[in-house]
Formats: sequence, C-alpha cells, structure tokens
Amino acid sequence: MDKTTIICRCEEINCEEIEEAIGHDARTFDDIKRLTRCGMGPCQAKICISLVADVIHEQTGSHLHEIPLPRMRMPISPIKLETLATNSTTFSSVKSVMDEVELEEGKVR
Amino acid sequence: MESSYETVVIGGGVVGNSIAYHLSERYQEGILVLDKKYPMTGTSGSTQAWVWVHNKTPSWYAEFSMYSAELYPYLSKKIGDVEYKRTGGLSPFFAEKDREKAKQLADSYRKIGIKIKVLSREEVLEKEPSINPNVAGATYSSIDGNVNPFRLIDMYMRAAKKNGVQYSTYNKVTSIEKQNGTFMVTSDKKTYVCKNLILAGGTWSRELGNLLGIDIPVNQLRGQIIVTEPLKPFLNYTISGLRQAINGEVLIGYSMEKAGFDRSTTLDVIQETANMAVHYVPSLRKAKIVRAFSGIRAMPEDGFPILGKVPGHENLYVAATHSGVTLSPLIGTLLTELILDGETSVPIDRYSLSRFA
Ligand SMILES: Cc1cc2nc3c(=O)[nH]c(=O)nc-3n(C[C@H](O)[C@H](O)[C@H](O)COP(=O)(O)OP(=O)(O)OC[C@H]3O[C@@H](n4cnc5c(N)ncnc54)[C@H](O)[C@@H]3O)c2cc1C
Ligand code: FES
Repeated sequence: MDKTTIICRCEEINCEEIEEAIGHDARTFDDIKRLTRCGMGPCQAKICISLVADVIHEQTGSHLHEIPLPRMRMPISPIKLETLATNSTTFSSVKSVMDEVELEEGKVR
Repeated sequence: MESSYETVVIGGGVVGNSIAYHLSERYQEGILVLDKKYPMTGTSGSTQAWVWVHNKTPSWYAEFSMYSAELYPYLSKKIGDVEYKRTGGLSPFFAEKDREKAKQLADSYRKIGIKIKVLSREEVLEKEPSINPNVAGATYSSIDGNVNPFRLIDMYMRAAKKNGVQYSTYNKVTSIEKQNGTFMVTSDKKTYVCKNLILAGGTWSRELGNLLGIDIPVNQLRGQIIVTEPLKPFLNYTISGLRQAINGEVLIGYSMEKAGFDRSTTLDVIQETANMAVHYVPSLRKAKIVRAFSGIRAMPEDGFPILGKVPGHENLYVAATHSGVTLSPLIGTLLTELILDGETSVPIDRYSLSRFA
C-alpha cells in the first residue's frame, strides 16, 4: 500500500500513520486506534478495520486470524441520546461529584 | 534487548509512563518499562481524563491534586501537545440544600489556595448557557481542566524513548524474586535483573504484590462512558459528568460499579448515563451516541493513592491510584525524587502502603 493511502476515511488517517504506530510496537486494532484515532470515527471502524488488518499483516507478518478484533460494543450504529434516556432523575451507579463531598460536623474533612 | 537494568517499571499506563519519563530526565540509562499488553489497554485508555481538583475531599487530597494540575502546563511544554486545556471546572447542583455544602467547601479550600466560587443559577447559565435552567447553582474553579489521555501517554512514551527508556510490550511479568539485593523479574519473554523495581500495575496491583508476597489492597471499580458524534463547540467548561473534547465529541459518564475485571458496556448504566446527560444539558437529547466504553478503576481500599517505598523491601516502590490522569505529573516527579534523592519535595508519608499494616 502507498504511504499516503487513506486507511480511515472518517478520521483521515493514512497508511504511514498506521505504520508508525506499528513501529511503536502497536499490535492490535485497538492499540492502533488509541494511538492514531483510526477507527474512532462515525462509522466506528466498519470501513477501516479490514484495511488496518492488512497493514498489520504486511508490517508484522502476523496472520489475519491472529490479529485480535476489537470488542463490539453498544451502540452498533449511532443512536440519539433521547432514545437511550428514560427521563428518570434518580441515579444509582451514576454519581454526582457534589454528593461525594463529605462534611464532618458541618466542615469539609 | 539487555537483561540488566537499573530500574524496571511494571505497568505502562499513565502512572508507569510518567514515572519512567520523569526518571529519564535525570538519568538516561537502564530504564525498562514492561507491560503485559500495550500502554492504554489498561485503565488509562478508558478514562474521562479530567484533570480535576476542586471538590476532592479531604482538603489534603485536594491540595495534592492541585499540585499535580499545576504541573500540567509545564509538562506539555516539555513533552509536547497533549491537548491539555485548563477549561475551569463546573459542578452543578440541583437542590438548594447543596448550596450550604458548596459554601463550606469554598470557605475551607480558600485556606489551602484553591479558589472555588459558588455560583447562583443565573451565574451558571451565564457561564454555561446549555446547562439545564432548573439548576440551583454550581461550584466553579479555574484550576480544573482535561487532557487527551491517548496523546498524554503517547507523548510520555515518545519523550521517554528519546531519553533512552526501553519498552517491552505484550510481555507479562509472571514472577519476581529478590536475590542478593537485586530483583529478578521473570516475564513471558525473558528474565530481567534490576536494582530498583516500581510496581505501577494499576487495577492489577494486588496481583503484582502477590508475586512478592505483599498485600497491595487495590479493588476494582468499573466506570462506563458514552461518546457523542462530534458537535460544534458549545460547552465552555469541564462539567463534572461530561466534557467536550477538542474534536467536538462529548464524553459523558460518572458511574461506579463493583464488577470485578468485567469491562462490559451494560444497558442499565448507559441509560442512567444518558439520563444524566439530558438532565445536565437538555440540548444533548438530539445528539447521537457513536461509541461507548468501560474501564476498571484501581480503587485502594481507603480510596486514597498508594505511593512510595514498600516497607521492608529495599528499592521496591509502588504507585497505585484512581485519578491517575490528574495525578500522573506529580506522581512521576515525586517518585523520581524519592528514588534518586531519597526524599520528596511534597510529603507523601500519608500515602504509604504502611497505613494498611
Ligand atoms: C470511566 C473512568 C473514568 C475516569 N476518569 C478519570 C478522570 O476524569 N480523571 C482522572 O484523573 N482519572 C480518571 N480515571 C482514573 C484513571 O484513568 C486511572 O487512575 C489511570 O488511568 C490509572 O493509570 P495506571 O497507569 O495506574 O493504570 P493502567 O493504565 O491500568 O496501567 C497499568 C498497566 O499495568 C500493566 N500490567 C498489569 N499487570 C502486569 C503484569 N503482571 N505484567 C506486565 N504489565 C502488567 C497493564 O497491562 C496496564 O497497562 C477514570 C477511570 C475510569 C475507568
Ligand atoms: S473509516 Fe475509520 S472510523 Fe470510519
């Protein structure tokens, strides 16, 4: 592949940038993603994932089936916040920083 | 790669990398960083990355965090652009009863030099027009901000490598032995010998301690985050709960669950997080979520950092903490002083592992 070939269209990452990450010992799609943002765009790697695998294979010689795939997470395709929200304002796992401020006899500890 | 080093750092997260980098500013040879995977595969790659100070309690811990936040501008001069922005931090409250607490906080922190303003509803809306108009008020401090955690670690690593630090990744440490005053660190690839050993294994610190028969009481606390598509810049501050990154994405989430090492994304917490988002910033309703992630905090048993020498083990050091992004510049600086000078410019006795004995 040409160094200037765009691998990730969403984030405009070219082949050279992927190769540089591999030069820094990145080995998986996620390693490369965190170093370059490749795969963090709106399509969430649907377009670039196989191209990245090709570059990893080319650069490291590892076989395609040996390259760990990223974990698929919600949402598989973009979803509006209002669709996720249930409009409740009681929280259990989600905390408020103010609630964490502890007072002892009316004073901040 | 050699097998004999002056100092080996186990763990290439933000904490281990900061220590390696700061050490390499003072001496250039014989530093090795080992990671069982790759830097950023741990908690440092799944974080909100606020550099947050103003409502940490107790006050001595807030003060410690402030010293670290103050190192950030200088750090970015040294290692390069890490997208650190001192946006100021806003913690909204919706119940009038919280105002008293906010005032207490502002009063007592003035003494230690952390300036906190308690804002009225109008002042909040003037500063951050997108906040829910039902807000009662907020605490505000200009010391808070955020950073790009990926850039931060990448830059720490690049600067450290330039100074001669070596890295070996996908190389898990499986046993550690002490022999005639040196450590024998056995990993998947090789056995290394070193004088100083630094345990920076984050949420895996307990396991690392076990290799040496030491109890490092660190537990797991999961956090889940959702990320919007890039939106035009509209949030001015780091809000405790959400922030807008330089590329326009909004990172939302402040959840805590005990789920061991399970890094799943779960619908219940994602929904609660969405509820928080629209409660704080109603216009986010229409924003699309493109991504979600989850990370496991290292939570020491009493909630405070574990830093410094391991009692009874010469040349053995530990650094395990939550809020490691905020604290990394200071931890790297102080551990370097401790290792090379035997003392630190900011006292860390309070954070010693010995408190659990
Ligand atoms: C959702 C969430 C939000 C957060 N928000 C913030 C925030 O806003 N501000 C803030 O300051 N902090 C925040 N934190 C906390 C912060 O991210 C962590 O404190 C920080 O990343 C910890 O860094 P670390 O280097 O200690 O750990 P890690 O990044 O986990 O690094 C530890 C490394 O050790 C390696 N390792 C472990 N065992 C071995 C072994 N046996 N051999 C070799 N290597 C090993 C691992 O592979 C790992 O890379 C948040 C955390 C979460 C989960
Ligand atoms: S092409 Fe890479 S994220 Fe869309």
